[in-house]
Amino acid sequence: MRKQCSKLPQVFYRILSIFVLTSAVHQPADAAGRYFTGGHEAPPLFKDVKGVVKDVTGNPAGGVTITIKGTRKSKTTGSDGSFSIAANEGDVLVFSGIGFETREVTVTAESVYDIVLNSSSTVLTDVVVVGYGKSSRKSLTSAITTVKPEDLNKGAIADVGQLLQGKVPGLNITASGDPNKPAAVVLRGTASINSPGGPFYVIDGVPGIDISTIAPADIASLDVLKDAAASAIYGNRAANGVIIITTRKGKKGQMQVSYSGYVAAEKVASELKMMNADQLRSFLTTNGMAFTPADDKGAHTDWQKAIEKNTAVSTNHNIAFSGGTDHSSYIASINYLNKPGILQHSNLTRYIARLGIEQSALNDKLKLGLWVTNSNSSADDVPYRNTVLLQSALYMPVSPIKNADGSYFENLSRSGYYNPVSMINNSQMNTKYNNLIGDFTAQAQLPFGITYDLNIAYQNSTSLFGSYLDKYYTSKYNGMYDNPDPTFYAHAVQAFGTNGQAARSSYQATSKMLETFFSWGKSFGSHSVKAVVGYSWQENVAGDGFQATTYNFPVDNIGYLNFALSNPYAFSTQINLGADGIYQKTRLISDFARLNYNYKEKYLLQASVRRDGGSVFGANNQWGYFPSVGVAWRISEESFMKTQNIFSDLKLRGSYGITGNSFGVGAYASQFTIGSLGTYNYNGVLTAAYGPTVAANPDLKWEKIATTNIGVDFAVLGGKINATVEWYNKKTTGMINTYQVDRILVPIGSITANGGTISNKGIEAIVSVAAVNTTKFSWTSSINLAHNVNKIVSLSNPLFAGGDSIPVGFPEGAGKSGTPLAVLKVGHPIGQFNTWQYAGKDATGLSQYVAADGKTLTTNPLKGTDYHYLGNAQPKLLLGWTNTFKYKNIDLNVFLRGVFGNKIFNATRADLFRPSTATLANVLADVAGESIKDVNDDKYSSRYIEKGDYLRLDNATLGYNFKNISPYIKNLRAYTSVNNLFVITGYKGVDPEVNQGGSVPGIDYNNFYPKTRTFLLGVNVSF
Amino acid sequence: MKQLLKYITIPVLLIGLLPSCHKVTVLATTELTPDVFPQDTTGFISVSGPAYVALRGNFGIEYFFQQSYSTDEAIMPAHNNNWFDGGQNRDMHYHTWTKDNNYVNSNWTWLSTIIGAVNQELSILGKTEPEGAYKQANLAELKTLRAYAYFMMMDNYGNVPIDTLYGDFTPRDKTPRAQVFSFIEGEIKAAIPYLSTTVSTYTYGRFTVYGAYALLAKMYLNAEYYTGTAKYNECIAACDFLINSGKFALTSRASYLQMFYGTNGPASVGSKDEFIFAIPYDATSAGFFGRSANYHARYDVPRSMGKVGTANDGFNYFGIPYKTDGPACTLPEYYANFNDANDIRNKQWLTGLQTKPDGTPLNITTTKAGYDGITYANDNTAYTFQLNLTPNIVLRKTALPFDVSDDEIGWNMGYRNVKFYPDATSSSRNQNNDIPVFRYSDIILMKAEAIQRGGAATLGQTALSLANLLRSVRTTSAAWSTITLDSIYNERCREFAWEGWHRNDVIRFGKYEGTWGFKTNTDTYRRIFPIPTTALTLNPKLTQNPNY
Repeated sequence: MRKQCSKLPQVFYRILSIFVLTSAVHQPADAAGRYFTGGHEAPPLFKDVKGVVKDVTGNPAGGVTITIKGTRKSKTTGSDGSFSIAANEGDVLVFSGIGFETREVTVTAESVYDIVLNSSSTVLTDVVVVGYGKSSRKSLTSAITTVKPEDLNKGAIADVGQLLQGKVPGLNITASGDPNKPAAVVLRGTASINSPGGPFYVIDGVPGIDISTIAPADIASLDVLKDAAASAIYGNRAANGVIIITTRKGKKGQMQVSYSGYVAAEKVASELKMMNADQLRSFLTTNGMAFTPADDKGAHTDWQKAIEKNTAVSTNHNIAFSGGTDHSSYIASINYLNKPGILQHSNLTRYIARLGIEQSALNDKLKLGLWVTNSNSSADDVPYRNTVLLQSALYMPVSPIKNADGSYFENLSRSGYYNPVSMINNSQMNTKYNNLIGDFTAQAQLPFGITYDLNIAYQNSTSLFGSYLDKYYTSKYNGMYDNPDPTFYAHAVQAFGTNGQAARSSYQATSKMLETFFSWGKSFGSHSVKAVVGYSWQENVAGDGFQATTYNFPVDNIGYLNFALSNPYAFSTQINLGADGIYQKTRLISDFARLNYNYKEKYLLQASVRRDGGSVFGANNQWGYFPSVGVAWRISEESFMKTQNIFSDLKLRGSYGITGNSFGVGAYASQFTIGSLGTYNYNGVLTAAYGPTVAANPDLKWEKIATTNIGVDFAVLGGKINATVEWYNKKTTGMINTYQVDRILVPIGSITANGGTISNKGIEAIVSVAAVNTTKFSWTSSINLAHNVNKIVSLSNPLFAGGDSIPVGFPEGAGKSGTPLAVLKVGHPIGQFNTWQYAGKDATGLSQYVAADGKTLTTNPLKGTDYHYLGNAQPKLLLGWTNTFKYKNIDLNVFLRGVFGNKIFNATRADLFRPSTATLANVLADVAGESIKDVNDDKYSSRYIEKGDYLRLDNATLGYNFKNISPYIKNLRAYTSVNNLFVITGYKGVDPEVNQGGSVPGIDYNNFYPKTRTFLLGVNVSF
Repeated sequence: MKQLLKYITIPVLLIGLLPSCHKVTVLATTELTPDVFPQDTTGFISVSGPAYVALRGNFGIEYFFQQSYSTDEAIMPAHNNNWFDGGQNRDMHYHTWTKDNNYVNSNWTWLSTIIGAVNQELSILGKTEPEGAYKQANLAELKTLRAYAYFMMMDNYGNVPIDTLYGDFTPRDKTPRAQVFSFIEGEIKAAIPYLSTTVSTYTYGRFTVYGAYALLAKMYLNAEYYTGTAKYNECIAACDFLINSGKFALTSRASYLQMFYGTNGPASVGSKDEFIFAIPYDATSAGFFGRSANYHARYDVPRSMGKVGTANDGFNYFGIPYKTDGPACTLPEYYANFNDANDIRNKQWLTGLQTKPDGTPLNITTTKAGYDGITYANDNTAYTFQLNLTPNIVLRKTALPFDVSDDEIGWNMGYRNVKFYPDATSSSRNQNNDIPVFRYSDIILMKAEAIQRGGAATLGQTALSLANLLRSVRTTSAAWSTITLDSIYNERCREFAWEGWHRNDVIRFGKYEGTWGFKTNTDTYRRIFPIPTTALTLNPKLTQNPNY
């Protein structure tokens, strides 16, 4: 203790001396020296060391940190690579920067140093964010993939999931054409049938933050924690991996202003190929049929085009300024994005403002930070959009959009048949989102080398929804069926109120979080130890708000903005206040600890444990332990490796750990909650009966996911080729599911409980090659591959049945109600298609199917009985391939992405493949060769199971970096980019990229949303 | 040292706070949980409700089908594959059902739901309701309801697991039928001292002490079949308790039919005297299990006598707002019991040529093929005929199983029961007609039967006098001078048609292995149904009933 106290004056003295001496750097050295003489050792001689840091290609290297070894003094190079630092002769300057090999230079009598930094021969020197701390890649024992901002996908992208698509092996991301639908993210195979399997996001140390609050331009790095050894520190939330996002921070030095922006034009790249008016007419004529006079108005309408925009032009602007002193730094940024969807009436406008300040105090022993982000967006959408899209495919091309008198054409005598353009124009829908995040951080340097971190965060998300269906809509379309997303299986009749119907809802979700931890590290000779001990507390409230629906408006002009003018009381159905159980409060509390040990950076060991408590679990099982252990051996550091020159780096890693998953569990799923269970006659009156609608399960706990991971990292050819290969075995046990229960035990017949087991095993690899690297031209290529095998091992619970064969995926196409496409069955993977097997047509032209015995053919196969296992939705191989070419100031990045070995159930095609109803609804152009008499050919069958392989040129970006334009402009880069330039696939649907998340992957259902191609022009400037 | 304090104060404080920061439980304060609900009588009534809502679930439809279609009382043939529904009705008729039969499964689940709901209610009310007479009565009433559900389960499935405590999810073994019988008997007897003796609107639809005794009487009457030990004297004693109470009476011949109308209930003529325990049906009620509705007219009224498209299709005789489906009817073997022209109970049937209320013929205009598609296939000549319900069921569509075809002849086969008279006041096909479980006439006939089967006569009543007591308010024909078990059986057929007791009666009278309609199966093991597939899936400890 005393030692620490007595050191303080020295520190103070030293800081003072720097001030004094730096102000006198130009005085003769001996004058300064004399000042300190008097029996002491020769004093340090400070001088101003200057220079420029460049990379091997001669480009200035900005952002390189220069530290005087053994001190805390450091400076950073500007974007022109220049630096200046006060140092003594004999001091060692350490130059380090991301992507460079660290270099040490001893200060001599020279005062100008032009330094060339080699590109890091291996990515192992990178700093990796590991959760509650950082690590260098070389000392990792776990599987973590880091993605730098320059490697993220480019384009008019609003969703972080899409930014990562194809970049991380093992991360299977599927994005639909629908811009409002976040991409489905699955890490290392579907681990549970109850959840979409999305990873857990940690932004700047704040866990569980809504990733939509981050503007892509503000991301500094992205670390994907894949194995349990890495992610177990996040306990029961980490089962599907953890993605840690670090945002840009202000840096010491001059103020920097940067601007980035783009304009992107989106065009339809592919849509369903329906028959046009002439094709359909000739098809009917050939088959001796005719349009009904009510439909046939001689029009030639392309209904898909009619609901689309010709071009949707997105714009994005991002301005940031940042700066800092030795004791403080700040960054502020504002982002504007306008992204009109390709469908009429759809649009997203978003503003994100972000401010971060950091200040050191108490002699830099305490660092305080405050980060505030506010994201505000307004999304216009089309009510019943899936129904509109369906109608745009089905509607007769011979019917006009409008009648001669200007009114919309309709043929309402046919059920389930509505003019899609009228549906869009007679309704409106908007949601405004606001997301505020405040994060206060404090870091204190304590005695004994202990660092203490405190992180207090608050997130508040609000949504304000409004929709209005006008009088035309509520009178013409009342009683229509909706067309829900495939996760919901039933089409529901929509009953509208009379004379216009308006709905509004306003909900708020808040999250309060406190995280605090101590870290400590020390080296004893060849031994090095690091430790972290911490505590985390989080309370979330969701669904704090209300909704209301009213109707009977005097005019349509009011929309949803003034409920007071409606008169629902004129009718017996009154205002609808929404469902029970929206408000949910949850609490998560954790203690965690991690220990790292290494011997000579050769033998590495990491162990961690997290004790997690969650309020959603049953009273008997609220707390659980999530341990992990990892070891690594840097073989290349061994003396026997010094003699070889194949591997410049070689590391073998192994880890095992347990993480948990509680996704998909409602806040009160383990508690007895009581709701309405109908009415009964009591004392002559119909009286409400209330009873438990959720069965208490005091034993409910998280799913356990145990992962074994073995990895090899190596660099060969002097670092020209870097590679990482991982093998993993991931096993989910105690899967949370809604199990069927004997109603004598639980009268509502189901209970949320733990049961089934799912296994995922796979291999992943990344190989990066610096193929060419000259001063003028460079080419680097990075390819990542992933292979996963998924299997359901068990689906039951010891007490509750669950069931071995659960049919899933009910597209509910016309005439195909209650027909499942896939089955969850022990021994089979999730995504196992189970359906009828198509066997061509019989002599009369009627489609035939293979009966259960596998031999007999039948035209009328039985549901269930005559099903066969026919293909699997999960891909055998995922590929991401990036190529970067640089020539002088020009750079070109080409990114290809592919998925191979999967099957897609093209239910969209089956539903539009009905020649027998071609007089009533449009059919695919491919139906032309079919007989109108085949009433049997649209059955969901193997005929519609297609290969899902594809290779997409996802992105190509060509950029030019302007040099030395003006003393005021440090950096100017202009680029142009194209997304989805082409797809190579044999798939017949809109696009082979169909959702591969959740328990029913690989079903192309309602996939009418057109896929787009984007051309983008952008600029980045910094001042 | 000040510096030191500065460094360590905050962390030490935080460490000190840690233990108090590990409270992870969040109570569901925004939901109804047993901590906050129920708190008052209104709440207790609401919490007692789900078991009654569940009781209504299958009773009016699937349970009736299982009790009736497995006997000569009713049949639902297919009509050109419509209403074949995987053979569920055929198998009921032929006695060839399997553990996958829809009714066998659905009714097991339904009865389990009632029992589970009662168990759950007892658990909640046991903790929340203040001690006292009200609580005792409330719990006793629910236990009697549970006993009734167990009675139906034992009657249909024989050996069933007994589970009375909510919260223990351990699967239960089957209990032998005789033990289930004792359990039910014990439960009822334990409840009786606390049950209400009021018969009024207040207790209507719930178990009173009288409902409990009626259930006991039914148990004892069947005891010999259930357990091998006859309990006819106990049956007579239970009946006598009801007879002596003076709370019930046989309704007059004039009001017999009204007893089953949509207006029936605790204050309605007929039902107010005779209903001991009935299940109330309200067209506007909401349920959570099954269809929770009375759909008798939907299945039993010929299609041309409900709401019709045009005058050619028939005539909406009952003024109801929906098209009936009308696939079901009785069999001639059963209708043969209605052989007394003076019996008011004949009027619950639609038979033969139909007329409109004004007496003019109820005509239907169709094509020849529409009338008789077997003989006149593709003959589209117009054809008008007077609706004629024919007594015999003929499986005319020989290419299809159990099929009478979907022409007019097929649709109008079989006499139709309209005891639960089509309800013109309902805006849906759900009717307001309450369905009785125990009527006073059943007490009279049970006692008569118990005496006839060897029980000791009491209160000066004999089997014959009791039967004649009932017959005097049903028919104007002369009183019986002799009585046999068979004549009691025939009287029960007349009295309780469509009330869900026929399977129970047929078995007790040893006629279940007889032949009727197209049935030839004589397996005695079919007196109980198999343990259904869903039950075997959900409870691994269950074993299948013998021979299934």
